Amino acid sequence: MSHPSSAEVVIVGTGVVGAVMAEQLLDAGISVLMLEAGPRVSRGEVVETFRNLPLGIKGNASSSYPPRPWAPHPMPRTGNPDEDYLQLSGPDEYAQTYIRYAGGSTWHWAGTCWRLTPEDMRLNSLYGVGRDWVFDYDTLDPYYNMAEYALGICGPSDPDLQWPRRARSRPYPMPHLPFSPGEEKFTRVVSEALGYTNLPVAQARNSGTPYDGRPACCANNNCVPVCPIGAKYDAATALARLESKGAVILSNAVVHRIETGENNRIQAVHYLDPQKTSHRVTGKHFVIACNGIETPKLLLMSADERNPTGIANRSDQVGRNMMDHPQIGLTLTLEEPYWLGRGPVVNSGIMETSQGDFRSEHAGAYFRMNNFARNRYVTFDALRTGKVGQALDEEIRRRTACTVNLVAAHEILPDANNRLTLSDRKDWLGLPKPHIHYDVGDYTRRSARDYSMPIARRIASAMGAVEVKEPKGFAQSKHLMGGTIMGNDPSDSVVDSWCRSHDHDNLFLPGGGAMPSTACGNSTLTMVALAFRAAEALVNQARGASA
Amino acid sequence: MRRVIMMTGAGALLLSLQAMAATSTPAGDDAAVMARGAYLATASDCTACHTAPGGKPMAGGLAIASPVGDIIASNITPSTSDGIGDYSEQDFARALRKGVRADGANLYPAMPYTAYAHLSDDDIHALYVYFMKGVTPVNEPTGTTNLPFPMNLRFSMKFWNLLFLKDGVITPDPQHSETWNRGRYLVEGPAHCSTCHTPRGILMQEKGDQWLAGAQVGPWYAPNITPDVTSGIGSWSRQDLVTYLKTGRIDRAQAAGSMAEAIEHSFQHLTDDDLKAMATYLGTLPAIRTGDDGSSAEEDNRFERGSPGSDLSFRGTSYAKGLKGDSEGAQLYAAHCASCHNYDGQGTADGYYPSLYHNAALGGDTASNLLAAILYGVDRETQNGHFFMPPFGDQPNAVTSLDNEQIAALANYLLERYGNPDVSVSSQDVQSIRDGGPASNILMLARVGMAAGGIVLVVVLIAVILHRRRRR
Repeated sequence: MSHPSSAEVVIVGTGVVGAVMAEQLLDAGISVLMLEAGPRVSRGEVVETFRNLPLGIKGNASSSYPPRPWAPHPMPRTGNPDEDYLQLSGPDEYAQTYIRYAGGSTWHWAGTCWRLTPEDMRLNSLYGVGRDWVFDYDTLDPYYNMAEYALGICGPSDPDLQWPRRARSRPYPMPHLPFSPGEEKFTRVVSEALGYTNLPVAQARNSGTPYDGRPACCANNNCVPVCPIGAKYDAATALARLESKGAVILSNAVVHRIETGENNRIQAVHYLDPQKTSHRVTGKHFVIACNGIETPKLLLMSADERNPTGIANRSDQVGRNMMDHPQIGLTLTLEEPYWLGRGPVVNSGIMETSQGDFRSEHAGAYFRMNNFARNRYVTFDALRTGKVGQALDEEIRRRTACTVNLVAAHEILPDANNRLTLSDRKDWLGLPKPHIHYDVGDYTRRSARDYSMPIARRIASAMGAVEVKEPKGFAQSKHLMGGTIMGNDPSDSVVDSWCRSHDHDNLFLPGGGAMPSTACGNSTLTMVALAFRAAEALVNQARGASA
Repeated sequence: MRRVIMMTGAGALLLSLQAMAATSTPAGDDAAVMARGAYLATASDCTACHTAPGGKPMAGGLAIASPVGDIIASNITPSTSDGIGDYSEQDFARALRKGVRADGANLYPAMPYTAYAHLSDDDIHALYVYFMKGVTPVNEPTGTTNLPFPMNLRFSMKFWNLLFLKDGVITPDPQHSETWNRGRYLVEGPAHCSTCHTPRGILMQEKGDQWLAGAQVGPWYAPNITPDVTSGIGSWSRQDLVTYLKTGRIDRAQAAGSMAEAIEHSFQHLTDDDLKAMATYLGTLPAIRTGDDGSSAEEDNRFERGSPGSDLSFRGTSYAKGLKGDSEGAQLYAAHCASCHNYDGQGTADGYYPSLYHNAALGGDTASNLLAAILYGVDRETQNGHFFMPPFGDQPNAVTSLDNEQIAALANYLLERYGNPDVSVSSQDVQSIRDGGPASNILMLARVGMAAGGIVLVVVLIAVILHRRRRR
């Protein structure tokens, strides 16, 4: 079999960022070759893998995506560093999950699409913490619009329910989804008791109408780990369309080296196939979009004579500033039934608590009551009661109705010591596993202690909680940010405002890694907006070069 | 897209009506005539063929697949360079009723002039006024139709017309009610139901003795709509039929393919009175029993077959193993269909995702519509909502591209459990629907005829014509 070995633009990664970039380039008449480390599978296969799982591991999204030996990704941790893929150290665990499959981790995202606020992008100017973005909200706004129309976002048309609270320059392409019975009650309770507005989540999901050739959501409540019908946008839904526009997509192609040439321009990437044979792919421009862990890992792995600390790493910032939305999830048992699970798994949230002058002292937080149907989570506890037959059914029903998961997701500041490096431990192909040292930091800890948990307890009390389970530490939100941070100064940042490497003018590193601040809302929409910006720059550059 | 086109057309009409009202000319009558013409154009579904997806209204260009090749719909805007702007009303009437262009060339019967031949003089006039004044001229040429020999000989249609084109403005039958007569006029004339629903003979003519008894149209099957209780729609109430034409669905039947388009473009915009009239007339037609189960009980019709349930014997292993076992169809159903249609085939409570048992697409004597729905999906947007099932063929937006063997296994599982268990399909059947429907052998016949005897075909045709004339 012959392997395609060249294109104008080579994109490493077929997740949402790579897919969006590819489509912009193809529409501009630029040839694209995409390389994906993992396999390409059908939606039906993922759905059936999920259904065949034992109940106990259905809750872990990665379990529905068993990794291929050549493309390992994080699985439920065993504690044995030889088995675990991510090598972790530090006071907190950066135990993220993502998958290396064609289509990437949007396969199992919830689809939540919060925008940043103007203040979220000026933390340093306004509050004296963290980093400012190199452009303002109004600069990003048109790219947000593009992202929302490309992914198909449903969101509220009522300005009082929109986030951020400022006039939109373009309406959402679809109306927001209705709340589940439990969400309606929650909305009422937090408004009456605490004055908070529980907003409809803007989300990449077809609400009551088909969009972009995909069907309307029919409320399987299975967005995580997979939308069984493709009503939720995931990048896997875009791949065949990219191919119809001329893209070549190679799966099971693990890129392990970026090759530089004259003027330190990138001239090729090398990938290993499952037979461990290496292939070289050349191009005029390169996009590395393999997510916030795999991208810095690949840059560091590709160190050469010209770039002894790694590609794009003159600043020594590649792999530093690793960020996430550290979250604390409380399990509440309530007096009255709430009934969650109708509609998508995340459908509403309180965002106003993420903003305020307090941000000079501690992080803000976004509160949400997850809308997962609860039976999956409560069945084991119900079994432990020893009940059987109808009594057991009733116990499962009671717990399903009367328990909820309340989550506080926090922002975190960029810290150069939160750092990804290459471990001495190797994967199946002999490539280094990523090692991440991580400390959530005092800014976020203070928020949990003085701000978010007190609010969470007040919410719990207002909801009529008779039991509140609070975990000890932070959990991960799987929102990988910071590892290829954006800035104007090449000495302390990796990419410029177009997500172009400061060191290599034909290398683009779009996505969450570029984000200099996290805010509290999920990062994907901002990643996609950055991909649209990067695509614009790349198209201009490619046209200029060929003219 | 199509909806946008409709609205643009309607908007243009409204604007021009307003413009006319604003002038001092005696616009009242003209406006009324033009509005009637616009309504008739909708009832006749001109836009279905003459407006290309994304194209300008009535500017043509759409390639209409026929068993002998693509026929390009013409520009029927009043453009004098590329449309019908130079047509006199007489030219216009001749095109509609006789299938002859102003330059004398024959149209192919993809244009349903055998139905439009029934239009009254008044209605022809109203349509003419609408097309000349209510449609925006588009000065853009369309592609040309290039059928293979001998179908490229347009004059051969003259013989076809002699054989199959009946004269016939419909005159009201005093034996029947006004409603019935209106229904007959619409069904036989503008709505041209028989164009799709009547099977065609060896020369692509509609078979008179099988009128509306069901026919394959491309990948889809236009079913028997005679009042036969078993084979047709005799089990439907008049209101069922009106609801179906208005919304594209009742609980046991959903419009897809070209019927969905007809409802989008045409039927949903007709008045309730006209829909009731059509239903009234259709209900009085001779019932035609089709298929080989003439002894079937009345309740054993295509709308009532099958029952809920599922085979989950493959569960607990893996998708790959499930596909290899005896339950391949059930495994495919679970993986690709059950998340909308439910594990036991019952669909959703509101019917947005229909139940698969008691469903016309699965209960009939042909599996064409089942296979076409799987391969092409369903896309129907009416005032009742936008109904959409994604395709499972090789389209870019296919949820999963299933191959012929998989679709055959899936379809046979569905037919056995939810539909007509006497029907089964092979992977060749799936390929045929994937290719756009069974090909006609008319081309082969014509070429063999030509090769064998030069003009034997023509001689035979003339003989037949003479024979028919003598009998009159």
